[in-house]
Amino acid sequence: MTPVLMTAVVLSLGGMMVVAAIVVLFIRDLFSAIIITGFISLSASVMFLLMDAADVAITEASIGAVLATMIFLWGRGKIGGDG
Amino acid sequence: MIRTIAGLITVLLLGAAAAYVIPEMQMKEDLQGVGYTYASSGMEETGSANLVTAVIVAYRGLDTLGEVVVLFCASTAAVLILTLFPIGLKASEPSAIVSFTSRVLPAPVLLFGVYFIAHSQISPGGGFPGGAIIASTFLLVMLGSSSVPDSHGKLPAVEALAGLSFGLLGFWGVFKAGQFLNNAFLGTGTPGEIVSAGLIPLISLAIGAKVASEFSGVFTAFRNTRS
Repeated sequence: MTPVLMTAVVLSLGGMMVVAAIVVLFIRDLFSAIIITGFISLSASVMFLLMDAADVAITEASIGAVLATMIFLWGRGKIGGDG
Repeated sequence: MIRTIAGLITVLLLGAAAAYVIPEMQMKEDLQGVGYTYASSGMEETGSANLVTAVIVAYRGLDTLGEVVVLFCASTAAVLILTLFPIGLKASEPSAIVSFTSRVLPAPVLLFGVYFIAHSQISPGGGFPGGAIIASTFLLVMLGSSSVPDSHGKLPAVEALAGLSFGLLGFWGVFKAGQFLNNAFLGTGTPGEIVSAGLIPLISLAIGAKVASEFSGVFTAFRNTRS
């Protein structure tokens, strides 16, 4: 991957992560907020992969994007769904 | 609304701190000190082709043991709270997509998790992510069945046994080489082969079993506790 392409991918991905993180603060629907949090984790794991940190990338994908999202969803089930 | 604004202010402050610090960071062209030692002689000393695993399990094995203890405390507390205050999730009938996925996917994902743990000394991998992947297969099976799994204390037994074996592997080094968590006394082998890198594969296996059973235990507690 050329440095220019790398920079473009990192900047666009990082920009999406920042926008998503701000959206999570203001969104009313809890389910959407949880899914967007999972998207941020997944983007972070792609970032780690771009930085040649494959170990960290897979850890982030499995724990951050899958297991943590699942626990958030169950917590949402506990507090009633549409809070 | 106040909480939203407080959160936004916190994020902005953290962002300002990062923006202040990051320009000061300089990527060094050559490694120095400990990093240089790890990178230059790590492969010969530990026999691990994956330097990340060599640092995590061999050089910083004691830190990893502490991390495992922290994880144990966290999962114990989570299971305790979930048992004392049942959250009463409604177990709903899985949809057709979920029940089909939960029959097809677990076997390959489980295999990938085991591969991930077993090959941590050769390619990117390790006990923590591998254990999490294995736990996600149990999660998938759990989501696909409407009945609540009953582990009869098998998961805590696996967890305790794995944690104990990590410590015992450390003490094995004390008796054989006079050093806790010594990695080299079994022989380091050829870097790149699956039976290489001394104690690293065994410790990865212990960590993987422990993490997998811990996460599965937390999930079981989530599903089991219904009021």
